[in-house]
Amino acid sequence: MKLSYQWLKELSGVDWPPEEMGDRLTLAGTACEYVTPTAEYMRDAIVGHVLELGPIEGADKIKKAIVDTGADKLEIVCGAPNVAAGQKVAFAGVGAKLVDDFVIRKVRIRGVESSGMICSERELGMSDDHSGIIVLDDDAPVGAKLVDYLDYDDYILTFELTPNRGDSMSAIGVARDLVALTSKKLRRPQFELIETSTPASGSVKVTIENLEDCPRYAARIIRNVRVGRSPWWLRKRLLACGMRPISNIVDITNFVMLECGHPLHAFDLDRFGSDEVVVRSARDGEKFTTLDGQEHTLDPQVLLITNGKEGVAAGGVMGGLDSEVEDDTTSILLEAAYFNPSMIRKSRRKLGIVTESSSRFEKGTDPNGIEYAINRAAFLMQELCGGEVEKGIVDCYPSRIEKKVIDFRPERCNKVLGSNYTTERMKQILSDLELTVEGDGPLKVTVPTFRPDLEKEIDLIEEVVRIEGFDSIDDAVHTIGPLYTRIRPEDVFADDTRAVLTGCGFDEMLDHGLTHSKLAALFNPDLPQVKILNPVSEELDIMRNSLIPTALVAVGHNIAHRVVDVCLFELGKVFFAGQANDDWREEERLVLAVTGNSPQNWREKARPYDFYDLTGALERLAEHFRWPQFSYKPEKAPFLDEKLSCRLMLDRRGVGWIGRVDDEKARRLGIKQPVMIAELSVDGLIDTRAKALGFEPLAVYPAAPRDIAIVVDDRVPAGDIIESVKKAAGELAETVEIFDLYTGSQIEKGKKSIALSIIYRSQTGSLSNDQVDEMQKKVAADLEKNFNAEIRDK
Amino acid sequence: MTLLEEVARLEQEARERISKADSLASLKEARIYYLGRKGPLTAILKSVKDLPVDQRRQVGAEANKCRVQLEAEFTEAEKKFSDTAPRQLIDPTLPGTAKRLGARHLITQVLDEMCAIFHGMGFEIAGGPDIETDYYNFTALNFPPDHPARDMQDTFFVEGDRLLRTHTTPVQVRVLEKQKPPIKIITPGKCFRNEAISSRAHVAFHQVDGFLIDEGVTMADLKGVLVAFCKAFFGEGLKLKFRPSFFPFTEPSAEVDIQCFLCSGAGCQVCKQSGWLEILGCGMIHPNVLANTGHDPEKYTGLAWGIGVERPAMLKYRINDIRLFFNNDLRFLRQFI
Ligand SMILES: [Zn+2]
Repeated sequence: MKLSYQWLKELSGVDWPPEEMGDRLTLAGTACEYVTPTAEYMRDAIVGHVLELGPIEGADKIKKAIVDTGADKLEIVCGAPNVAAGQKVAFAGVGAKLVDDFVIRKVRIRGVESSGMICSERELGMSDDHSGIIVLDDDAPVGAKLVDYLDYDDYILTFELTPNRGDSMSAIGVARDLVALTSKKLRRPQFELIETSTPASGSVKVTIENLEDCPRYAARIIRNVRVGRSPWWLRKRLLACGMRPISNIVDITNFVMLECGHPLHAFDLDRFGSDEVVVRSARDGEKFTTLDGQEHTLDPQVLLITNGKEGVAAGGVMGGLDSEVEDDTTSILLEAAYFNPSMIRKSRRKLGIVTESSSRFEKGTDPNGIEYAINRAAFLMQELCGGEVEKGIVDCYPSRIEKKVIDFRPERCNKVLGSNYTTERMKQILSDLELTVEGDGPLKVTVPTFRPDLEKEIDLIEEVVRIEGFDSIDDAVHTIGPLYTRIRPEDVFADDTRAVLTGCGFDEMLDHGLTHSKLAALFNPDLPQVKILNPVSEELDIMRNSLIPTALVAVGHNIAHRVVDVCLFELGKVFFAGQANDDWREEERLVLAVTGNSPQNWREKARPYDFYDLTGALERLAEHFRWPQFSYKPEKAPFLDEKLSCRLMLDRRGVGWIGRVDDEKARRLGIKQPVMIAELSVDGLIDTRAKALGFEPLAVYPAAPRDIAIVVDDRVPAGDIIESVKKAAGELAETVEIFDLYTGSQIEKGKKSIALSIIYRSQTGSLSNDQVDEMQKKVAADLEKNFNAEIRDK
Repeated sequence: MTLLEEVARLEQEARERISKADSLASLKEARIYYLGRKGPLTAILKSVKDLPVDQRRQVGAEANKCRVQLEAEFTEAEKKFSDTAPRQLIDPTLPGTAKRLGARHLITQVLDEMCAIFHGMGFEIAGGPDIETDYYNFTALNFPPDHPARDMQDTFFVEGDRLLRTHTTPVQVRVLEKQKPPIKIITPGKCFRNEAISSRAHVAFHQVDGFLIDEGVTMADLKGVLVAFCKAFFGEGLKLKFRPSFFPFTEPSAEVDIQCFLCSGAGCQVCKQSGWLEILGCGMIHPNVLANTGHDPEKYTGLAWGIGVERPAMLKYRINDIRLFFNNDLRFLRQFI
């Protein structure tokens, strides 16, 4: 919303400079975003007099004018269609700065030297209109500064109001805040309406069929108006409120709306189609053409103003094309109604139209402000259009909306705010806001209907602090609340997981969680999806049901940007829809993805990232959280390559998947290099650390290390070999590790050589060589038996 | 300037270079510059023969004295770098070989930093689902049905009459349903808004909302908590400005601007010359929210705020495109190890 600074000054009597006025209003919750001067590009213009106008040889669009500037008589080339000799015009001479910082220079056009410009509104930054030059009144003093002559030195204040503040959607509304900030008196416009003896009730009847959506509908009849251009003072005011003047009738309805916040609509009575107004809900499928020429198919969410037969306006949103005021209009049916804000919201959404009217009605107008609005507009039509106002308002308002009375306890106000305002001051603020304050102790505050947002005591408390300013409250903390601050296990888990994985060289990624249904289905065709009903784009139409596709998108993005060595993880949620309320699931998961090569330095060569980089990181996590060891059970997952696809097991429970991403699927994301990925559900893992905490006593007796090397069939899993050794050696085997693995020309084809290092130790005494040798034999025998292993270097 | 003055100036300048030199190479470079065959001192010595007789002697002597003096000082200074350093067993300048660390995502870091500050003030973390019902996201938070306040938060709707939470404040309702005051909670997490993706807006963002409910909690406490937070997060000595605003779930409501920490309020490109940055919304919990969850709004009052994570992160790290947070481009992520 835009308002004129001069207007606010007039209504409030507050004479703060424009910027300060904007700032002070902002600090009172009436947010003023910008302050812009109206006359910035008019400063150099003066009143000129077109003395002569003549043709230019060889040019039919442009003419040569002699303009008297008071000081000089200058030759000017002008192309405006409406320029004529004898006119007083807005003239800008050489050096004048016009809109878009255009500076006028002397130019030669078709052999004529032009020393200035006769200006349109657009060139002076007044509006976008450049259909013709501005023609001033004949008595305009030649040579006078245009800005002085037009009294146009004003500022436009642009407001961004919060949706609760319907009351401040007008000059009077904002002036009311100014008055409250300064304890001045609001200067409401005074006027005297003269009615003819013909009763308006003879010209129009009003019936409301839907009183819930339209509790009040008032009409006036104005006869014999002459439609034409509004006087300058009115056009000026509209321009300084960012509004384009149209014709006196329309300008008046706009002006009154800007002044008091109540939207009005003027119908051409002769084009109205009947002498009755019937307000009803639109019927399903009913057609209506709004005055912007758009045809709409309606439903009962739209409230229709009709002439008893068909729609003439979408109530509170926009008028209809057929009953619009035209140049030849003589009789006006002036509407001032109160509409239910929530109906307006549904209606304007249905129609897809937001207007100055709808945004005011939607925030709530004053049902009892209608008399002022309709009388004020009728008065102006009488004054400015020669209208004759018929007697009385035809007013359908069967159940009056009354003012609320709210109890207000000054001590409660101070208690909530932590302030120490006096009761007197609070009373004054509320009265300055035009609320009626009575009584002592709990004050009885009567809230006028222009403040529908004030419903409770707390709303009045806000009014007090809004006007008094937040600076009037200290920033001291008196309450401390609980002293013991718990940290949730899931936060510890997330923090530790990030510490471990970044320590392993993985970078953390973060996805927004929305993804494409087709992408999700490519990787997990059988998983249900949570669809977004109003997606922002087709590519983000579901909530993800796996972290894998989004991780691969990130991998693909990096490869596309030539970062081909990637080591990423993410902790994030996946979503599953259900039938019943408690079926809806959000599951916290962890994904790890590697591709490309490990970093290299002068000591270590790069090598391709592989499966073991993932299991290594998982094992570091298991170690940290003291989980049991992960195991990897071959099983085909839809998104993994069959030849390397395992279920990730923890404690014999499947917690996720690990393996190599299916090449074909990866290629669909532009990835042409192998990617290893693991995804696991962590919801069940979060609590395990506390349970596993404990301590192994430090060993007292010495360790006896032994190595054993075997050759076995290539297909024997290393994990099984380690298990066999552990089983054979029992409690005496402290650690069993593989320290060498070999396949190749030195041994038989289809076989591998594995070397293990076993550390024996007893908790109860030193082991003798014989004891250890005995163990080694047992270990060797088991390996021979279980795997047909050949023991080397016995 | 006379030649004598020029000699004195050169001498002084060379001394400064010697005292500031941080390597043998820079000393050698300076020596060549001042004393080399093409240096200014040599030039002066060469030009002595063209001088009037009465000046020749004096200028020649001074320039020569200066050269000898500087030669000695350079030699002395060079010793510091060459002679005193003991020979090393290995080349210590080869890059170290510790394993590379991964980077936490910047949003995680900023979120954790914010949580740690509030944790230090005694706030505990609570969480809730990303997919919410209208009740928790709007109705219980005092958004009337079909009220323009709902337009302040463009909402994604999902099937099953649900929506993606537009703020983390629904967690407040969930906590209030289960706990009795005093309650002191922060609710960090992801939220969603149906906005076209651009450099300034994304479909998802993170928030750290918080609230404190007890008997006697006041707006002064709210200011106290937020002033303390801003000091810890943005730095000391920055002014805050509380502007009245509107959120259905708080009353009174305010938006908080902080003095631009990049220009200290003088006005710069980031703060659009205003000297202020909009950083958070706050207010006293609306009595309706307390009543909706079975708490007596006469007995208890509460303070609440909501601060985004992306925007402060962008301001603090001068990031100009919010999309960088979700692109997962390693060239970005790895800047924040
Ligand atoms: Zn700045």
